[in-house]
Amino acid sequence: MRFARIVICSSLLSSPALVCAQSAASNDSAEMIRALLARVEQLEKRVAELEGRPGPSASAPPAPSEPVAAPVVAPPAPEVATVPAAAGPQIHGGHVGMPLGMPATHIAGFSDFDFGATDQRGAKSGFSEGQFVLHLNSALSSKVSFFGEISLTARRDAGTGTPPATGFNVEVERSIIRFEQNDYFKVSFGRYHTPINYWNMTFHHGQWLQTTANRPEMVQFGGSFLPIHFVGALVEGALPAGGVNLNYNFGVGNGRSSVISKSGDWGDVNNNRAWLATVFTRPNHPYGLQVGASVYRDLITPIDAIPVREWIQSAHIVWTKENPEIIAEFANVAHQQVGTGLQSNSQAWYVQTAYRLPWFEKLWKPYYRFEYIHIPGSDQLFRLVPSLAGSTVGVRYDISSFAALKFEYRNLRRPGEPRINGAFAQTSFTF
Amino acid sequence: MRRIIVRLGCRAVVPLALSFALLLPLAASPASDDVVVVANPSVPVNDLSFAELRRIFLGERQFWSSNLRISLLLSAPAARDREVLLKTVYDMSEAQLRQHWIGKVFRAEVASAPQMFYSDEEILQAVAAIPGSIAAVNAARIPRGIKVVRIDGHLPGESSYRLR
Repeated sequence: MRFARIVICSSLLSSPALVCAQSAASNDSAEMIRALLARVEQLEKRVAELEGRPGPSASAPPAPSEPVAAPVVAPPAPEVATVPAAAGPQIHGGHVGMPLGMPATHIAGFSDFDFGATDQRGAKSGFSEGQFVLHLNSALSSKVSFFGEISLTARRDAGTGTPPATGFNVEVERSIIRFEQNDYFKVSFGRYHTPINYWNMTFHHGQWLQTTANRPEMVQFGGSFLPIHFVGALVEGALPAGGVNLNYNFGVGNGRSSVISKSGDWGDVNNNRAWLATVFTRPNHPYGLQVGASVYRDLITPIDAIPVREWIQSAHIVWTKENPEIIAEFANVAHQQVGTGLQSNSQAWYVQTAYRLPWFEKLWKPYYRFEYIHIPGSDQLFRLVPSLAGSTVGVRYDISSFAALKFEYRNLRRPGEPRINGAFAQTSFTF
Repeated sequence: MRRIIVRLGCRAVVPLALSFALLLPLAASPASDDVVVVANPSVPVNDLSFAELRRIFLGERQFWSSNLRISLLLSAPAARDREVLLKTVYDMSEAQLRQHWIGKVFRAEVASAPQMFYSDEEILQAVAAIPGSIAAVNAARIPRGIKVVRIDGHLPGESSYRLR
């Protein structure tokens, strides 16, 4: 019995004994930590002196603390009012700092360099400089902001003509001033990418943002199938709608110019405004889904043809995750000649899918896209827009968080023409 | 006499040692691994649904009310609370999150990406100072002057709390 007591006592005592041994050993570490902390505090004071602001001891320590499980609002502690220097400007969505009474403007950009080779007759292979795109945004107040996008595009006709054409074409792609009352109501004026198409609304001129090297043909810059730009006013907002998260856009503007690939930047070519309406949903469940539809109405007055009433219906369904990524869009463009009543319907659609591979640090993303455009012979306005069916297959490799390499093979077939094969490589980035 | 002292000593030491041995593991573990959603006292909500929290952290909801804009504050990459947000709220990788915010700014949907902070102390000071601000921090104790927001009615430490 006595022996048992000794065993129990010694075994129980051994635990604190061990702890004591450990704590004795850790005393040195604790002292070292204390010394290091003192050193850190000393250095912080020195940095603060050099930066010309109060040191950490003078600023607000989040000292008087409360347990987490207390969702009540405690009175604001005055000593916590000091914001770190870094927190001053660039507050998300807030009023960006205004040094010297001027609004602060943030500049960022996108660009790309490409190589292409095709077996199309007359086409030459080689390198090309993609668009150099700058975008600027500035918060003019907590509710008013400006956004601009400028592109510089290399010209094929550089140095020719009188006076000689410049090497690059400068274009104001977007210029938007927006007033935001709240999430439900925002009104803006300016030049937009027409919000009737997911690709046009999402990737704009940021080649790096899109998975593929090239845009689908139905939304090519300089193309005619859909009006890419829109000058006018836009009302937009988002309603939670019980988890449906319904977003809307309603716009009135100049519509297409007399050259149908251009927008009416200097004014409307006729006395008839174009209008558009878009609704799309990003429901809470499933997270990552977006579904939307748009209508667009305009009266087009071409230079050398009968005026045409245009009525566009479009829809998209997108799975915005990367495992997999799916984008599918459809658009029907109905044209009715004024006077004759001759009517035609042209359709375009594409389906793109991609998958971020789980191996190799998730840097590789293969993709495939099928696209189709059908232009009936009766559509006089689109007589220069070719029908086509094509496939694009490629892979994207993310060199860094802000740059990507893309390798792409394209195969296009147009009615009455030989099939075209092409290989493309692109490096695109943001800065 | 000596035996009595030893017996008394054993009787006193045993319960002390037992309680110390039982308390030791608790003292070594952190109080909570949960990430706490904190907000400036001006924020007019005490409870957010997880879906609403996701909309705020994605930048899809930008206003608390017409007079109060949401200021979203994030920790720098590699911070634990950012990792938890990436896993539970964003369901994205770090690279996807960067692309998400670059895209939002480029589409003119927000004026700028969320402000980044390099320590919990900095982020808590900013939350206390900026009206309408909200952030997620990995802190066991929250300073006075900062509101802790419930998620789906739950607080950190509760079994149904999702930010961990």
